[in-house]
Amino acid sequence: MKKRLQCVDAGSEYCPCYLAETNDCITCSILQGKDFCDCNWRGTCIYQEYVWNGNKRKESRDYLKCKIESTTQISNNSFILKIKVTKTLARLLKEPGSYVFLRGINLPQHFDMPMSVLDADDIKGYIKIAYQILGPKTKRLNMSQNEVMVKGPYWNGLLGVKNIKVTKNSNCLLIARGIAQAPISLLAKKLLKRNNKITFILDEGNLKSNFIEKELKNYDIKIIKKDLMKEENNKFIKKQLLNNNYQLISIGGSDLLQSYIIKIIDDFKLNADIVVTNNNEICCGEGVCGACTTYLEDGTPVKTCKTQLEARKTIERRIHID
Amino acid sequence: MTKVIIIGGGWAGCSAALTAKKAGADVLLIEKTDMLLGLGNVGGIMRNNGRFTAAEESIHLGASELFKITDSTSRHINIDFPGHKHASLYDVTKIEPKVRKLIKEKNIDFMTQTRVVDVKKINNKIKSIVLSDDKTIKGDIFIETTGSTGPMGNCLKYGNGCAMCILRCPSFGPRVSISQRAGIEDLLGQRQDGAYGAFSGSCKLNKDSLSKEIREKLNSDGVVIIKLPKEDINLDKLNMKVCQQYALKEFAENIVLLDTGHAKLMTPFYPLDKLRKIKGLENARFEDPYAGSKGNSVRYLSMAPRNNSMKVEGIDNLLCAGEKSGLFVGHTEAIVTGALAGHNSVRLSLGMPLLELPRNLASGDIIAYANEQIKSKTGLKKRYTFAGSLYFERMKENNLYTIETEIIKRKIKRLDLYNIYNEKII
Repeated sequence: MKKRLQCVDAGSEYCPCYLAETNDCITCSILQGKDFCDCNWRGTCIYQEYVWNGNKRKESRDYLKCKIESTTQISNNSFILKIKVTKTLARLLKEPGSYVFLRGINLPQHFDMPMSVLDADDIKGYIKIAYQILGPKTKRLNMSQNEVMVKGPYWNGLLGVKNIKVTKNSNCLLIARGIAQAPISLLAKKLLKRNNKITFILDEGNLKSNFIEKELKNYDIKIIKKDLMKEENNKFIKKQLLNNNYQLISIGGSDLLQSYIIKIIDDFKLNADIVVTNNNEICCGEGVCGACTTYLEDGTPVKTCKTQLEARKTIERRIHID
Repeated sequence: MTKVIIIGGGWAGCSAALTAKKAGADVLLIEKTDMLLGLGNVGGIMRNNGRFTAAEESIHLGASELFKITDSTSRHINIDFPGHKHASLYDVTKIEPKVRKLIKEKNIDFMTQTRVVDVKKINNKIKSIVLSDDKTIKGDIFIETTGSTGPMGNCLKYGNGCAMCILRCPSFGPRVSISQRAGIEDLLGQRQDGAYGAFSGSCKLNKDSLSKEIREKLNSDGVVIIKLPKEDINLDKLNMKVCQQYALKEFAENIVLLDTGHAKLMTPFYPLDKLRKIKGLENARFEDPYAGSKGNSVRYLSMAPRNNSMKVEGIDNLLCAGEKSGLFVGHTEAIVTGALAGHNSVRLSLGMPLLELPRNLASGDIIAYANEQIKSKTGLKKRYTFAGSLYFERMKENNLYTIETEIIKRKIKRLDLYNIYNEKII
């Protein structure tokens, strides 16, 4: 029987999308060409939205030409951009897991790159993005220009977001390494609003910068700096996990780091909810191109640019392949 | 101890919970909304026509608790309206807390706002159910009483869209067919024209929004019949209804209102502008479904194949009742099938032969008859209720209909089934 999957866009102003028109909706069985309902979506019916909209998709996200207000170098190959955007877009990007596509002005669409939102201010109307120069897209994000193309909002940068919403008055552990520090900021702020206590194990990784510290300096977060991949710190991490009764554990970093921490959680039979960064290569963000496809254990393909998955399910197969 | 998990807290689920508990099971009843009784919160018609016989049969078989509540909560008893005799109308605004209290008093565990979305199986046996938050609960025997109504996409594809009925899918999530998740394909009811599903048969007006005369007559007599202007008569609407017992010409030519606490309007939906042209209804507004101007919930899209002991075919430890178990209409039908499924859940866990109600009882005959009929195309277009239409005719022909309670009691004693639902088996 087909797996029932949860699209992060369901119920948003961008749902239904192209996938509804092509009978490939991630969530709705009728918009997959089936005769009857078999979804697990709690909210306004996607099929109903589709019919009400005249049997067509809603308007998609559009590109905005935005001014780069400032560029700050944080290590030899990484930068923080502060980009002026509309207040509405900034508001829509305040959710943990938010990301946008950026590309240099004059570049073709295949230079679109997904970037986690580091911070979004809906009063002043700006967002901040941290990036590390790694491949062709980041190399071409031409910093000499003072404008950039922005497309958004997108929301699937973190997997397990439903766990964030239900965590309150609890102990939370955030773990991040390297550039995966970026999505921690929105997540931490959200958790603090719900009266959670946060411990943050921070590892600069290959980035050689702890830029997130500055972003979080006004917040009550206990930050511990450790190299997560060093054997000698293994004991410390295990002790942290075992002794603090964490309700939620978030892991920002490679699949390897994620599976390493999840294995400890499982070995100790800890009852914590898990949030992880979405490490798949996202290309179009609309569930169309297939670049971000991952496979569940039973072979079901899942487009991760929009599909919320449970952390264990997303890495269980990838790790074996990698 | 046998753990019986019942999925769906409507009349059928509550009834099954009570008999399973009495037979000795450890029972857990799971309901997706915030209230038990499901569509029973907007229904109310009991004991009309053959339902009287069926209610008395259940009482003497030992499943009397719920009928005691519906009887004692009735606003009107022994009333007649077109095509129907000796009906009782329970007060829909008072019934749920009473049933909930009973379930609590009997020490039956129940969870509300908890939705079952999947099962875990080993071969043909369900090991556990999966909730919408991914938690699992293990059980020995499972009873599905999730009904056959909705969810929203079905109500749109086969009806006029979500009319905001008591099930409140957008808030509490879609109905999930548990038998289908367990790998057993659903059976689907049809309308006369072959379209799938059928509209729920009545909507409810807020009684305070009606004229003083109508309100007073409803409160004193229980029934108000208002003749419709000729241009408003729509006989086609009768074919769309679930409740073929109310698909009579009188219901198309007249507005029939019944007092169930709300003013029950015996038609699936009615455009408010038209309704307000009728004398006394100038200020009317809908109570259920909220969008009663445009549509109603669509039902019969999800029945499980079963035997006459209510066990689902193809799964070793799953039973079903209520609308899930056939093209039944009504609370009485749900309670009757639910009681049997609940009792049989304990028998099934012990490996005992399952109880089948004999066909010289209306309750036994309807369960078997509906099962025979569902196998044919024309049978899928019919509905089965003690209250009217073809099954009530059959009851009369086969001498199953009586309102003499002593005769019913004697018959059940003769069959050696007296109080069988009250026996503790484990």
